[in-house]
Amino acid sequence: MIRLNNITKYYHSTKGRQYVFKDLSFDIPSGHNIALLGANGAGKSTLFKIIAGSDYPNRGNVQTDLSISWPVALSTGIHQHMTGRENTRFIGRINGIADLASYEKRVKDFAELGNKYDLPVSTYSSGMKPRLAFACSIAIDFDVYLIDEVTSVGDAKFRKKAKEALVNKSKSANVIMVSHQMDELQQFCDSAIVLQDGELTFYNDLEEAIKKYRTL
Amino acid sequence: MISLKRRSAWQTWRDVIFALFAREIRIGFNDKFGLSWAVVQPILFILLLSFLRGRLNGGDTHSLPTFVFMAYGLLTIQMFIQTFTACFNAVKKNMALFAFRQVQPLSAVIAAALFELLVKIFVIVGIVIAMSFFGIELRVNNPLAVLYYFLSVWVLAVAMGLFFAIAAIYIPELKKIQSLITRPLFFLSAVFFSLQDVPKDYWWLLNWNPILHAIELSRYSAYPTYGSNGVSSVFLGVSVLFIAFMSLFFYHAMWKKAISR
Repeated sequence: MIRLNNITKYYHSTKGRQYVFKDLSFDIPSGHNIALLGANGAGKSTLFKIIAGSDYPNRGNVQTDLSISWPVALSTGIHQHMTGRENTRFIGRINGIADLASYEKRVKDFAELGNKYDLPVSTYSSGMKPRLAFACSIAIDFDVYLIDEVTSVGDAKFRKKAKEALVNKSKSANVIMVSHQMDELQQFCDSAIVLQDGELTFYNDLEEAIKKYRTL
Repeated sequence: MISLKRRSAWQTWRDVIFALFAREIRIGFNDKFGLSWAVVQPILFILLLSFLRGRLNGGDTHSLPTFVFMAYGLLTIQMFIQTFTACFNAVKKNMALFAFRQVQPLSAVIAAALFELLVKIFVIVGIVIAMSFFGIELRVNNPLAVLYYFLSVWVLAVAMGLFFAIAAIYIPELKKIQSLITRPLFFLSAVFFSLQDVPKDYWWLLNWNPILHAIELSRYSAYPTYGSNGVSSVFLGVSVLFIAFMSLFFYHAMWKKAISR
């Protein structure tokens, strides 16, 4: 379970504070693969980042015993001038991976970069970089993966592989996912949280949540 | 199974700073020309300055060989300016990495500062080699004191860099006036002159500057005959501690809001 305690989050603007959440308390249940649904600007990515610890609420906190991934987006933490392997080691060190060598191997196998794994990322094609980013995250055994549209990139073959990996993971771990593509969410998620006016509602059934979302 | 180590907060900090430091080295050494220039440039500059001053005094400046006199000045001021600039830029440059909850702006600043320290070690080795080449005697009466003053300036630069890096997120214009802040320091820190060259009545214009104290004191620690009139180790120590404390205080209050902007 991920518990949000009295989260207040606002941004400063020329028209004063723009509140995203005001005293929001919510328990995100474990054992579900959850889609985050909400209109543009409802605060999906803000909530996502707060759960990940990439952003901080102005008040309140997030409590959990689970190990949570970083928000896996297209190229988080990947440096252009370092090779795929060096990037992998960097991410591994930051996350405190005990066995870097087998982590490297696992990322290499998953990302299917071949020889390019030892070449700078700047030489990669546009589909290869997200593949590396995704592989770096999926190769670590987290309890919860935060996925931000990343599975929608790459070719059909990689998408299939990513899907299989996530489905496999979902036996032992969970996914929280942001995407604008409903078919993608339907593939990975079984339930949903709908964001509306700074409030969260949990739906056990994804289809029901999507219906609700379409009316927003 | 790729599992994560259970880490204490200290271990996490250490791992993150090490990872960022390794990354700095990796990217820094991509630019081999830039790095060799970082070592060669100060030596050329010291040579130029000692040539100009040596014309006037024939080789010795306040009992120090002029080359050594200039070396202490230039090395220390470059230590300050370059570390300050690197720390200033580290936060903005590594913004994307703060998506990892383990990485805080402070860790990026410390990693950048360590990299600058590493470069300076190369520069010192280069200067020592140049000195033996020119047949200048290497004499350091109190090496520990010299090291202490040098590192004081490093800490000062890190503290100021951290402060300005966070402040610049709120006031982007600070970035533009960065060289405006650092350039005068070259002339205010007794790099190519001594406080003793300045009439006593005008010392108050200069002696607020802790870097000047560090430079003069390190020359004094190497050659006690140089004297330490008008400079104070206590002033240096207290200024560095005070500025470091204020900077960390400001950082602690602001960093979470700063990275979510």
